[in-house]
Amino acid sequence: MIALFIIGLALHGLNLILPALLRDSRRLNIACNLLNAGALLCGLIFSLSALLAYQRVEYRFAVPSTGSVVIGFDGLSLFFLLTFQLLSLAASLYAIGYLPHYIERGLSVRGHLWFFTLLIVSLQLVAVVQNALVFLVVWEFMALGAYFSIVFERTKEQVRRGGFWYLVATHACVLLLYVCFLVLHEVTGSWNFDDFARHAAYEPKTLALVLLTGFAGFGIKAGFMPFHVWLPNAHPAAPAHVSGLLSAINIKAGIYGIARLMMILPAQEAAYGWGLLAVSLISAVLGVWYALAQHDIKKLLAYHSVENIGIIGLGLSVAWLGRCYALPELVVLGFAGALLHTLNHAIFKGLLFFGAGNVYLHAHGGNIEKMGGFARVIPLTAVGFLVGAISICGLPPFNGFVSEFIIYKSFFRAADLLHGYAPLLLLFAAVGLAFMGGLAVACFTKLYGIVFLGQNRAGVAARRQGEPGSSSIVLLGLASLCAIIGIFPDTSLRLVGPALGELTGADQTAAEWVSPIGQLQIVFLLFLALTVVIYGVKVWLQGRTVVRLAETWGCGYTAVTPRMQYTASGFAAELVQLGRPMLDFAVQWTPLQSVLPVARAFHSHCHDRMENGWLLLNRGIGRLLGALRWIQSGDIRHYVLYVFAAVGFYLLCALVW
Amino acid sequence: MVKLSSDPLSWLMCALFFAAAPLLTGIINKVKARLSGRFGPTVWQPYYELLRLARKETVYSTSAGFISRVAPVLVWCTIAFAALLLPLGRPAAVSFPGDIILFAYLLALGRFFQILAALDVASSFEGMGASREARFAVFAEPIFFFTIGSLAIVTRRYSLDTVFAEISWRDPLFFVFVSVGVLSLFFLVSAECSRMPVDDPNTHLELTMIHEVMILDASGFDLALYQHAASLKLLLYSTLAALMLNPFGVFGPAVGALVYLATLLGLAAALAAIETLMARFRLLLVPQFLLFGTAIGILNILIFTFSRQS
Repeated sequence: MIALFIIGLALHGLNLILPALLRDSRRLNIACNLLNAGALLCGLIFSLSALLAYQRVEYRFAVPSTGSVVIGFDGLSLFFLLTFQLLSLAASLYAIGYLPHYIERGLSVRGHLWFFTLLIVSLQLVAVVQNALVFLVVWEFMALGAYFSIVFERTKEQVRRGGFWYLVATHACVLLLYVCFLVLHEVTGSWNFDDFARHAAYEPKTLALVLLTGFAGFGIKAGFMPFHVWLPNAHPAAPAHVSGLLSAINIKAGIYGIARLMMILPAQEAAYGWGLLAVSLISAVLGVWYALAQHDIKKLLAYHSVENIGIIGLGLSVAWLGRCYALPELVVLGFAGALLHTLNHAIFKGLLFFGAGNVYLHAHGGNIEKMGGFARVIPLTAVGFLVGAISICGLPPFNGFVSEFIIYKSFFRAADLLHGYAPLLLLFAAVGLAFMGGLAVACFTKLYGIVFLGQNRAGVAARRQGEPGSSSIVLLGLASLCAIIGIFPDTSLRLVGPALGELTGADQTAAEWVSPIGQLQIVFLLFLALTVVIYGVKVWLQGRTVVRLAETWGCGYTAVTPRMQYTASGFAAELVQLGRPMLDFAVQWTPLQSVLPVARAFHSHCHDRMENGWLLLNRGIGRLLGALRWIQSGDIRHYVLYVFAAVGFYLLCALVW
Repeated sequence: MVKLSSDPLSWLMCALFFAAAPLLTGIINKVKARLSGRFGPTVWQPYYELLRLARKETVYSTSAGFISRVAPVLVWCTIAFAALLLPLGRPAAVSFPGDIILFAYLLALGRFFQILAALDVASSFEGMGASREARFAVFAEPIFFFTIGSLAIVTRRYSLDTVFAEISWRDPLFFVFVSVGVLSLFFLVSAECSRMPVDDPNTHLELTMIHEVMILDASGFDLALYQHAASLKLLLYSTLAALMLNPFGVFGPAVGALVYLATLLGLAAALAAIETLMARFRLLLVPQFLLFGTAIGILNILIFTFSRQS
């Protein structure tokens, strides 16, 4: 079976030279993405069959200077590999229909496709490489691939800016990871993850350093608050297939890193668990609150990624607490919730971003205030987006509910098993999750209602337009995955089974703890049956009476125009204002003065306080370093003097010691 | 794990529950009328209205798409299915550990479609109602979790079927917990079921409505579904409050049923009295009102935990 994986990689390799061979951009786009899709299909078959008939496999390669390098396919790696491949497949197929719009405008896709392939390949390798050195190399390739994929339309200032945010974030991330892995190497004398795991006697201080740098490093990639600032800048800058990939799986590489660290390092301090819980809860609640204030469809979705990363973090922190207090049940529930939400979020966030891409094409921009009535223009996208919106709110019977349910369950079990004030804290976490759910409903009813329902606010007549075939297939495919995982949770629980078994050691009990959740399908099927019956009654009754169309009731006012509809800002305004101490919500307007007023403008904008904080920090550091700028005088004689001074200093040191 | 009750009485009780929902609305209207010195329509009036609506033609807005056509069904089904999770003297028709979450999320699903249906018809009035509904729901969610959720954590039962059975009237601590919990739920009823002082069900000005304005463009059987769903929701939340007193566990099925009905009537009378005596709050005050409900819930669980600890 491993042959399939290697075939997949080889096909990707072929893809890396393809852009040099094919001249025609359109054909190159189709060929390149189809080849990627074929490669990913091979890989997907491999990882799926490996997970279903699970057997731990690992390959050791002797490399001269670093010792052996391990490529391992354990439960966790395979699960993330599957997630990465699934969404890369969707993104490749989507790009076939999406990129021609850029080609029409004369942009060259040659380099873009090369880096896009690089991103996909390195993402897969990140999941399976179990050697810190090689991991860091592959990680850097992933970062590079992602950066160059983001700055596709590099003539736009906003794109360059977003790309720069990504570049800075990924450098900060990798810097912290260097520290983390170097310390681990110093302590254990090896670069392999399994040697890190085997080393039992970590000193508390070393462990603290490793955990803090590791969590912070991977946390930057994952987008936990306050490190999330690159997401809302980079995601809108990228073309839809890339932003889908970034949000769905690139940030999940950070989650993979945190999960891997939790697996290989001994859990001793519960404080990290509680800390992670707090950070995750803040990310989740504030993420969705910030999302509510956005007018740009992609920026809104990017903030929702922060929210979902927070939810995943909640599961991970319960798992950590379980390991600290030696309660395997909590480990299983927490990890199951986190991993499943990783997969689920990847699916529905991919779906939403690809849907947003179609919206973007038809609206020629991302400002949702100028949209409306798109359900009539792009109906398939509307259906897919609706499924994605329900799923991301965690509503039954779609997949978001299943993973959030497991996380709630892990809270409840933790409240049972832990003592002292822990149950109280967990109750607050559960309420936080519920509060966040309410905000998510507000946010997605706003997004869906404003974009797809009602009438077009820009005054464009609704006329059904063609949606690219490949994008419809991708959207409906992902939407049906949301439904399948949601209604039959058993399917996805089988995929996390191997990882859970490895975490706790015993496969049997792990399955027992989560399997009851698999039975939820009876409930969902019953609910669907009820819905179908009632809908049948409605159709039957309406068949016996008259059904006709009429204008919307305007409460007596007859000169209604589409611009009088409720706007996105209006819909969310008061909720946003209620979050004011945390959200920097600013409005600018001039009041109407005379009896016959002239045109006035009203602007509202929500600044990210944390982004401002980072910029302020950056400016402070810049000013500090600016004070030392006189050293770089530009005069050659000064530099010669520096060289002499340095040599003299070293000689002096050599004399003294 | 997931238990579908094999007791036919459980399902029968649910059917009775669906059938009786408009009656509660009728009773509230009657009490309100009498309190304000009118004779008022009979308590059966909501049934006549539902029958009339079901026979009438349906008019859809020209702006409406498929959302307006499926939303009434989904709104009704989510609330009806949530009712299946309640133990009404018999084991709940459907139950499993953690169904509290399903209960809350099903109602959220219904709300999701209700809001979308309001935005579907491109009316600024309905958009206004939708915005308000979304906003108040955000603050209502924590109240539910701080009452039923903390009851679950305290009793360590995570199913609506069993969580109330643990409540005993002998433990004074529980007594305090329950009575404050009922008060919190009362706050929840006013927000979720669009009653005073959050929403005025009888107002005639679209600008001040919340629930009523969202269904302005619904008609015929769709409107009947919405109306019945609204009364079902009121009965659902009142039942939650009544079940907090655990009538069936304490008094047995026969007397318990009487106590349960008496509690429902008491709540209905209280709602009617509030609606007669008070005016609706200004909309800006509503979040504060709901946060107050949440604060009560938080204090309640804090007092409970601390006194358990000491």
